Amino acid sequence: MFPADCKYTKNHEFVKPLGDGTAIIGITNYAQEALGDVVFVDLPEVGETFGAGDEFGTVESVKTVSECYMPTAGEVIEVNADLEAHPEYVNEDPVAKGWMIKVRLEGAVNAELLDAAAYEAHVASESH
Amino acid sequence: MTTARKQTPLFDWHKAHGGNIVEFGDYLMPVWYASARNEHLAVVSQAGLFDTSHMATIRVFGKDAYELLQWCFTRNLDACVGKDNAPLTDGKCVYGLFLDEHGHAIDDSIVYKIMDGEYMVEVNASMGGAVAKHLVEQAKGRDVKVFDLTDQLGKIDIQGPASIKTMAKLLKNPEVVFDKLPYFSAKGHFDPASTLAGQVQLLDGTPLLLSRSGYTGEVGFEMFVERAQTVKVWEMIMAAGAEFGLTACGLASRDSLRTGAVLPLSHQDIGHWPCINNPWPFALPFAASGSGFTKAFLGSAALEMAAPSADWTLTYVGHDLRKVDGHDAKVYLDGKEIGTVLTCATDMAIGRHEGRIYSIASPEKPAGLAIKGLCCGFIKVGSRLAPGTTVEIKDAKRSIQVVIETDVRPDRSARKALKSFL
Repeated sequence: MFPADCKYTKNHEFVKPLGDGTAIIGITNYAQEALGDVVFVDLPEVGETFGAGDEFGTVESVKTVSECYMPTAGEVIEVNADLEAHPEYVNEDPVAKGWMIKVRLEGAVNAELLDAAAYEAHVASESH
Repeated sequence: MTTARKQTPLFDWHKAHGGNIVEFGDYLMPVWYASARNEHLAVVSQAGLFDTSHMATIRVFGKDAYELLQWCFTRNLDACVGKDNAPLTDGKCVYGLFLDEHGHAIDDSIVYKIMDGEYMVEVNASMGGAVAKHLVEQAKGRDVKVFDLTDQLGKIDIQGPASIKTMAKLLKNPEVVFDKLPYFSAKGHFDPASTLAGQVQLLDGTPLLLSRSGYTGEVGFEMFVERAQTVKVWEMIMAAGAEFGLTACGLASRDSLRTGAVLPLSHQDIGHWPCINNPWPFALPFAASGSGFTKAFLGSAALEMAAPSADWTLTYVGHDLRKVDGHDAKVYLDGKEIGTVLTCATDMAIGRHEGRIYSIASPEKPAGLAIKGLCCGFIKVGSRLAPGTTVEIKDAKRSIQVVIETDVRPDRSARKALKSFL
């Protein structure tokens, strides 16, 4: 089950709106499990702005380096400083501990994102 | 046509214990359980258990078994044991290769002399058929019989400093078993009918062939058992090792550990090119003078011809743990492409500090040094580069600077006296 208060991309990123025009963004539990041990996370600088679908960083695991794409448009107002010393937080809890960036949302959250049920169905179809 | 992948006897155990199952050649194997990084670190500081039942064992019997292997195998069986180059005697084993007539690698192998007229040849997963066939073809009417035991045995590797204490809990007369068991020697037999079966037994009488060898660079054993005993033996070892931190380990940690131990992967670091000018000259029977070999063997003439112009396979270590895709990366020196990457892995147990590489196990490691891992592996280039040379390895996404080195993970435990671990 994926958290209902998030929206998802088909590329396995999540966005969790915080109710005040900001949101946190990261990769989903499905993604971290598939990647294996996350050993390095490359994040943008505070102040950078991205459109929906833009690459904002990369996550490196024992297996591979994966690009991370913005679920929705926004300006980076905070990056998760813990991930430099503790990239494994992405594996341990990808939302609460392993979130990657906090953004000020630009406009409404991208309407094309999947809700939790649709993302779960997407994951189920990908695993076959 | 796709054939269903094969399973080892431990497949159900792997799945039940969180094994992330992947296709590995003909087999379904665990690539990791909870964490490849933790499995790697566990082997260096405590111990890890590997299911290697997918590897292939070949038995070679007969009056001419020695002669056949002396022709086909790169090591000189008369001069290959220890620093004095002693002959391969009963209970000794040696690492080398089977080459074709071009000097290209068919497979690498550990060959055991069990007794006069009986040898055991250990090769890689899915290579039992090919190597057995090769030996039969080369036998040409000699008095020798070759048996491919693919999928007929169980094999379990225990590796890491706590391996010895773990096995001491499970063996009858462990002091006797561990006495005079140097690196690359073996005792016992998996076949209960063998005269050697009484040499190494678990407490319940299960015989096993205990080989003081492995693929991680850390101290431990490769253990051969009858197929039907595999799960029982695995579970006994896991239970005995729990108090010492014994961890089940998958193929990802096996690969990162062997790279840190500067060991080649067959069909990746050795392959369809002359098997010379690489980090493994001990696999060839070089004469002490350095020129020529001490015996003729299948592939030796081709290697002698190829040596002056053959590519060089070199070891490298990076500056942090980030890697490139080892299957798709090239090597650059001063902006010019000079070769390809063969292996790119991360040894999680090492780090650089003031010009030196340290392991988490290094006795001289500076207190408080945070070790996060270093990228490492092998490249193949047109000419030799001196250790200390910096090159760039580049895949489609990134470019990393790495340094040619003579070694990767320091202070490995494989050769240390067994009693120092008890």
